[in-house]
Amino acid sequence: MSFAWKAAGISYLKYTQICARAVRNALKEEQRLIAQRRDEQGLKFAKWESGKQGELKPIDSAMGNVSV
Amino acid sequence: MSFFTKVARTAFNIKARAPARWYATEASASTSGLRLSFVLPHQTIYKGVEVQQVNIAATSGDMGILASHVPSIEQLRPGVVEVIENANATKKFFVSGGFAIINPNSSLDINAVEAFPLEDFSPEAIRANLAEAQRTATSGSSEEERNIAKVEVEVLESLQSALGSK
Repeated sequence: MSFAWKAAGISYLKYTQICARAVRNALKEEQRLIAQRRDEQGLKFAKWESGKQGELKPIDSAMGNVSV
Repeated sequence: MSFFTKVARTAFNIKARAPARWYATEASASTSGLRLSFVLPHQTIYKGVEVQQVNIAATSGDMGILASHVPSIEQLRPGVVEVIENANATKKFFVSGGFAIINPNSSLDINAVEAFPLEDFSPEAIRANLAEAQRTATSGSSEEERNIAKVEVEVLESLQSALGSK
């Protein structure tokens, strides 16, 4: 059983997030504003090297691919 | 010792101990209907509510779930979940994806990421987003962007047909 997104290289988690975002953006005005708050991800990360914190990067919910 | 005596001896010994294995019991004739729990991570739509029938859009095909349905776990594709509470009340929700778990005791758990009644959607927004997604699907700059756009096109087309055939 192969799924289209698996063949395209997207994980199931990312696939469901994309679908959820597509549904949220299709709502009527007021519902959409409430729903889009769920889409935000305030997650940031930084790579530490030899005791020094590197650049603080946010995780982009749209692309989701974290490039370290 | 022949094989048969060995087996017979083991069988006799097993009978003397408490049963270590259960076999599925026959489904009892359910007096109650289908118990539905339809939940999202941020909201509970139905919790243990008795309904008559639920139609779901599974990746393996569209299904209608009644009481005493064969237990199964189904992945939902972006589509409509229709809850028929009784002969007069039917509610339709568009679900972005998730899973439906049909339990042996006639209870149905639907877990979805996003679900809204069809009235909450705006046809203009769908049309606009669909046009843009179709554009990106063919002329996006990266393979990843195009794949993401293709997924969005699928979802929005399903949403459009759900609204169209309301």
